[in-house]
Amino acid sequence: MRLTYSEETEAFRAEFSAWLDANLPEESQTRQRPRSSADIPPWARAFQRRMFDDGWLVPGYPPEYGGRNAGLYEQVVCLEELGRRQVARSFNPQGLGIVSASIISFGTDEQKQKWAVPVMRADKTAAVGMSEPGAGSDLASLATRARLDGDCFVVNGQKVWTSGAHHADILLAFVRTDPDLPKHKGISALIIETDTPGLECRPFDDITGRTPDFNEVFFDDVMVPRQNLIGELNDGWRVCNGSLAHEREMLWIMWSQGLDRMLADTLTELARTPAAADEVLLDGLGRSVMDSWALRLLGHRQLARRQRGLVAAEQSLLKLLGSEAQQRLALLMVETLGPAALDRTGPDGTGAPFDSDRSALSWFDRYLFTFAGTISGGTSEIQRNIIAERVLGQPRT
Amino acid sequence: MEFELSEDQLELQRTVRAVLDAESPSELSHALADGQGNADGLWATLVDLDWPALALPSTAGGLGYDWVELAILVEELGRHAAPGPFLATLTGFAPLLAEVATPEEADRMLAPVAAGEVTGTIAVDEGAGTWDPAHVEAMARRDGDELVLAGIKRYVVDGATADEIGVVVRLDGELRVVIVPGSAVGATEIEPIDAGVRHADVSLDGIRVPVGRLVGRGDAASGVVRALEGSVTAVAAVTVGACQRIFEITNAYAKQRVQFGVPIGSFQAVKHKLVDMYRDIERARVLVYYAALTLAEDHPDRTLAASMAKAGAGEAQRRCVQDGLQLAGGIGYTREHDLHLFLRRAKVGELHFGSASHHRRKVARLTLADSGVTDHS
Repeated sequence: MRLTYSEETEAFRAEFSAWLDANLPEESQTRQRPRSSADIPPWARAFQRRMFDDGWLVPGYPPEYGGRNAGLYEQVVCLEELGRRQVARSFNPQGLGIVSASIISFGTDEQKQKWAVPVMRADKTAAVGMSEPGAGSDLASLATRARLDGDCFVVNGQKVWTSGAHHADILLAFVRTDPDLPKHKGISALIIETDTPGLECRPFDDITGRTPDFNEVFFDDVMVPRQNLIGELNDGWRVCNGSLAHEREMLWIMWSQGLDRMLADTLTELARTPAAADEVLLDGLGRSVMDSWALRLLGHRQLARRQRGLVAAEQSLLKLLGSEAQQRLALLMVETLGPAALDRTGPDGTGAPFDSDRSALSWFDRYLFTFAGTISGGTSEIQRNIIAERVLGQPRT
Repeated sequence: MEFELSEDQLELQRTVRAVLDAESPSELSHALADGQGNADGLWATLVDLDWPALALPSTAGGLGYDWVELAILVEELGRHAAPGPFLATLTGFAPLLAEVATPEEADRMLAPVAAGEVTGTIAVDEGAGTWDPAHVEAMARRDGDELVLAGIKRYVVDGATADEIGVVVRLDGELRVVIVPGSAVGATEIEPIDAGVRHADVSLDGIRVPVGRLVGRGDAASGVVRALEGSVTAVAAVTVGACQRIFEITNAYAKQRVQFGVPIGSFQAVKHKLVDMYRDIERARVLVYYAALTLAEDHPDRTLAASMAKAGAGEAQRRCVQDGLQLAGGIGYTREHDLHLFLRRAKVGELHFGSASHHRRKVARLTLADSGVTDHS
C-alpha cells in the first residue's frame, strides 16, 4: 500500500502533461459548442485527431490502433491530467468508449480500419442502439429484428434513448437475428450507417430541456451488408457485455471526476452563500467529501487488484456509489440554496471550455441530470441485483 | 497510488483471523455478556504472540510495523467482538506517549507495554463526547515534587482496569499529559451495552503523583490531537470489522432461510438492503485504510482522513445495525444468537471519540477552510 505512483508512472504523466500544454487549443477557439453527444465541433475534431495521432487518446491500445501499450496506472494518470484540466477526451464519448472499443475487441481488421479508427480520429461519430420501448432494464428482450437475406440483413424495429443518433455517422445496433433461440442467444451486433434508406431518427428533449440528445430510431426494411456484423452471428450479447466492459477499470474515473467537479462548484457556490455555516449543510457536505474520497480509493483498490491479475468486482459498486453520490450532492445544494435555487439561470458562460459543461446549468437541472446516472447504463436497482447475485452470492430473483 | 494490502499484509490478516477464530470465539463474548469468565486468557495469548509489540518502535522493544498493520489487527478484533485491553493500550495509550512524551520517556514507558506487562488507556473527554482536548478543564498544580490533580474524566475505555492512564490536564496554562497509575484513581465503571468494552468515569480529585509522571515538554495540545487521530482511526477499523461480521451473518442467513418456498435472499427487498450494507462497509473500509496510510506516512491529509474514517465507519454501523437486525428477523432478536454481540460492538464504536455527524461536519469544515471559504464556523 502506498500513496504515490512509481517514478516511471510520474514520468509518463509529465510527458502527457507537456503534450497537453503544447497542444491544447486556445480557449478563444472553443466557442463553437457541441449540439449533441455525437456532434464534435471542428476545433475539437482537430484536437482529438492530434491526440490520437500522437498516441495519447487511447494510450493503452497497441500502436497500430493509436496507442502505446500503456499500463493501467499510466492510463489512469492520463485521465487524471485530462480531468484536472477539464478536458474531454472526446465529445462523442459513446463513440470512443463503446463503439470503437467494441470493434477493436470483436471486429475484423477491415472493420477496425473502416470504423474504429475513423471514430477515434473524430473523422466519424457514432451512437449506440441498445434500449427499446420494451427493453430497458431487461435489455436482452430487445425485439428489433434483423433477418439475413443473402448478403444483407434486413432490419425492422425501433430503438429509443439513442444518444446523438441524429448527428452520428454510424450506429452500433443490437438486433435480434434468431427469435427462436433463448433471448440472450439470438442477438447480434451490427454497424449501421445512419444514411441508409429506411432509417429515421427523431430527436426528443430530455427532462432538463437542453438541446436534444435522445432519439427514437426507426428501422423500416433497412438493408445492412453482412460484413457489418461485429463478432459472430447470434453472439451479440457477448459484444454488448464486452462493450459495457470496455475500459471497465477506468469507468469509475468518470464518476469520480464528475463528483469532484460538482464538489468544486459546490465550494465556489458556498463561498457566496450565508448558509455555509449551517450545521445540516456541513453534515451533508462532509458526506459528499467522503463519497468523493471513497470513490477514488475504491477505484484505486480495483486497479491494484486488476494489476495483480485478480478479478475485481467493484464495477457495479462504483457506478452505484458514484451516481447516487452525485445525486445526493446536487440535492443538498438545491436545498441549501433555498429560494436562490428558484432561478433557472445558471452561472454565465462555460467554466469548462474543453468539456461539456454542466456548471452552466441551474442546481435543480443538475440534480435532474444526475438521474441520467442512476437510470442509464443499468439502473441503481439493477446494479443492486447484480451486486447481490454476482458479488454477495444471493440467488437470482 | 497502489491502494491494496500487500501480500505480507494479507498474510498477517489471515494469521490474525485464524488466531482470533480460535481464541476469541463468540462463546467467550457470550460468557462475558452473562457476567461469567474474563478476557485474561485471550490477552495472555496475544501477549505470547507478541501482538502488543506489533506496531511499537524497535527502540521500545516493538516490531516496528505501522498503522496499516495495526488497522488490520484491530479490524479483526472488531470482527470477533474481542474483549480485552489491546485497543485502549495499543491505539490509545501508546500513540499518546509516542506523540507527547520525549523519545526517552516513550521508550522507557512503552517497553513494558511491548512486553505485555503493562496495559494503559487515555483520559481526555469530560462529557462533551467529542474528545476535543480544547474542552479539557481538569487541572494539575505543582506541590513540591508532586502534582495534585482535580477534575473528572468521562467514558475512559478500561478506566477501571488499565494499569496506567494517560490523563490530559491543564497545568500552568498549558495542556499536558500526566501518566497516572490506574490504582490511584477513583473509577466508576458504567454498566456497558457491550460487555467486551468497558467505560468508566474517572475522578482525579486530590490525586497526587510524582512530578516525574508528567511526560513531554511544553504544550501537548497538538500531540494529543495527533494521537487521537490514530485512536479514532483504530476505533473506526474495529467498527468496520464488527459491521463486516454483521454483514457476513446476515448475508449467509439470507441464502439459507427459506420462506414462501425460496431463500429470502432471492427477494429484492432483502437483496438491496444487503447491497447497501456491503456498499457502506466497503466505503468505510477504504476510508479507514486511507487514514491508516496517512498516519503511517505522516501525510498532511491525516486529520481529514481520520475524521472520514470515523464518520464512514459510523455510517456503516448505522445501516448494518439497523438492517442487519431487521433482516435476521426473529432469530436475530434473541440473546443466544451471535448477532447482538456485533451489533453492540458496532454501536459502541459510534458512541465514543465523536459521532459520525461530528466527524462529517469536521470534514466539511476542513474542506471549506482548505478551499478558502473561511466564514463558516
